[in-house]
Amino acid sequence: MNLYALGVDFGSMTAKAVIVDQEKRVVAWSVIDKGVMIEDGAREAIADCLHQAGLTFEQVAATISTGYGRRKLDMAQRTITEITCHARGANAMFPDCRMVIDIGGQDSKVIAVDDAGHVQEFAMNDRCAAGTGQFMGVLARALDVPLQDIGDLSLKGGHDITISAMCATFAETEVVSLRAQGTSTPDILAAINESVAKRTMGLVRRVGKRTPIAMTGGVARNIGVVRALETQLGEPLLISDASQTAGALGAALFALDDARRGIKAEPLQPDFRGEADRFVEPGGKGGCKPASLLIPSDPVA
Amino acid sequence: MTAETIVRTPTSNRLKTTSLNNKMVTEYWDDLFSAKEDGKLVCWFEGVSINPLLQTMDISWCHGEAWSALLAAKKEEQPALEAAEERGYQRELCSYARTHLGSGVLTKNNQIPGTPNHTEMAGRAPAPDMIISAYPYCSTGQQWDEMLYRLFGKKVPVFNITLPYIWGNQKNDTYMHGEDFEDAVKFLTKQLRDCVTFLEEVTGKKFDYDRLGEIMQYTKKASELRLEAMDLCIARPAPATFFEWSLSIAPVNFLPSGPPIVDYFQKLKDEIAGRVDAGIGSVPKEKYRLFWDGIMNWGKLGWMAEKFANYDACMVAGRYTHMGFWQEPHLIDCKDPLEGMARNYLVCPINHSAPSMIDRITALCEKYEIDALVMHVARTCRAFSNPQYLIAQQVSKRIGTKVCMIEGDMIDPTFYKDELVNSRVEAMLEAIDAKRSMI
Repeated sequence: MNLYALGVDFGSMTAKAVIVDQEKRVVAWSVIDKGVMIEDGAREAIADCLHQAGLTFEQVAATISTGYGRRKLDMAQRTITEITCHARGANAMFPDCRMVIDIGGQDSKVIAVDDAGHVQEFAMNDRCAAGTGQFMGVLARALDVPLQDIGDLSLKGGHDITISAMCATFAETEVVSLRAQGTSTPDILAAINESVAKRTMGLVRRVGKRTPIAMTGGVARNIGVVRALETQLGEPLLISDASQTAGALGAALFALDDARRGIKAEPLQPDFRGEADRFVEPGGKGGCKPASLLIPSDPVA
Repeated sequence: MTAETIVRTPTSNRLKTTSLNNKMVTEYWDDLFSAKEDGKLVCWFEGVSINPLLQTMDISWCHGEAWSALLAAKKEEQPALEAAEERGYQRELCSYARTHLGSGVLTKNNQIPGTPNHTEMAGRAPAPDMIISAYPYCSTGQQWDEMLYRLFGKKVPVFNITLPYIWGNQKNDTYMHGEDFEDAVKFLTKQLRDCVTFLEEVTGKKFDYDRLGEIMQYTKKASELRLEAMDLCIARPAPATFFEWSLSIAPVNFLPSGPPIVDYFQKLKDEIAGRVDAGIGSVPKEKYRLFWDGIMNWGKLGWMAEKFANYDACMVAGRYTHMGFWQEPHLIDCKDPLEGMARNYLVCPINHSAPSMIDRITALCEKYEIDALVMHVARTCRAFSNPQYLIAQQVSKRIGTKVCMIEGDMIDPTFYKDELVNSRVEAMLEAIDAKRSMI
């Protein structure tokens, strides 16, 4: 009988879920954007994954949750921080990577990892949401540009504009002012990306640059930030279509470890049983076994 | 059972003797509040513990940082912070200074007939008859006395003691050794003598050096017992935590010196020795041994003790507690104590340069078999936070300790975000687990 494990990354902006089988292959993954810490988003991501994989929750041997909402998810046997999970998930996606840049909704992290995906050192943004997905979201709204479009649009900009404020609120004021002065939207977006990259480079220097570098988290989907970071790093970044799910993948792999060690799943919450069948339109961005997510080997095992 | 009646059993196993400290601290502040009625002069001072000089002259004292810490611990800091902000001190400035200055505003308002009477705790410190600053390193600290001077109408006599920063840049300089250090000791000792003259002028009384010697005997003995008790914490599980040492700073910082403080540390040492014999830890299921770098978050002392105990993590030692407060008592010659006092003041944990600090912290981490450093970055204390990246990086490089940086403040609660702290601490503990699994 096959063994399945579930990892859920209950983030501050989006919920991600990944199911792996006993061979550590990704069976399904899902990303649901329901806004700030909405439990329905996590449930929907899980249901979507189960639906894609053709599984019921009872067939999942172990579940681990991560992310800021990790403690809210009762069906998980235990929680692990997103730092540890992103390290392991990134290592599974890119076994050679020695540094992970994870820019999520609420924080950005730079993690030094060893060849087994263990965290060696890490640094996180402090004091505010500067340089995070939340920061990008606020500024995208100020520019009236859909979040998913800002990456491509920013590549058309590039004039010498600087966003100096690190605070999201003050940066928004700066953006409004630049718009009033007639600065083009692509130029402003390019400046925002530069600002995020600069902020992230501070964390890279604190940890000490190690290569190759993988990028995970939702902001990895923003090609403008990726390019700005690559320029400042002087290195290409390792990115997968499913980079946003690295934390959930790490959690799923830890859950698989637990399942193999015989850590049994707790009784399920009654209201969650068969949830997968109830979601006719999962609505998430996901899929089954993308090539880049097939994991050939896991040195942690 | 209603929510109010639910009493959570604490995870940490706090030393019983520390309750004696609470009693001494309460009595001390009650005495200060009535000092004027008792006919005593009051000195407001900041920085290192110059109170033995004041005690010799029967002067009561309000130590700015201790007063601010007390207000924060009792959740009484807001009226003072608001009063300081109203006067024009913005929230990025040292919260010790802001709280003390705000408290000064409330005290001063209470002196004006017809103004609203500030009955809150922050307004209860009696107005100063003199102000002394003896602040190492910190720039705000060195100006705090002049700000108080202005606040109280430029009428209160002020004395400022300058403590040179110990760079240790000369060849063969080491901790407390070297030409520059000896020059600094001479410079500071002379200022302490000048401070004595200042006190004589303000009080009109002759300073009794024999009495200072007697007072310093108690301080010296108490400090020796404290260090001996700290040494016992190399035991596993550790019988006391950094948080208990933080609680126990008062007797070697601002409480009057005398038999009660010696008795306190004797009892504390006895209790700790008993725990070592019985194998009892301050954190019952000690799994991790940590080091706290940075100043304490006084409004969250109990909270932090519980938080780490719940992770089975024992905060065994810290820069604030283990590198300060008469940490070199053997240097005090009670027959002529000023020079030994100066030597202790000069090596308080913000006044020597990062290389020296890193050596000392590394040695402490090795002594107490520390797994990781928790760097508490106090938002408004640049003096403590300036070298923290360097310390984290170098100690980790030398002995492989894991590190996490958490943010907060010594007084201002608005700079603390619990979930951000949780993620960082938990990730660090997970990294320790991963490291252990590879061994």
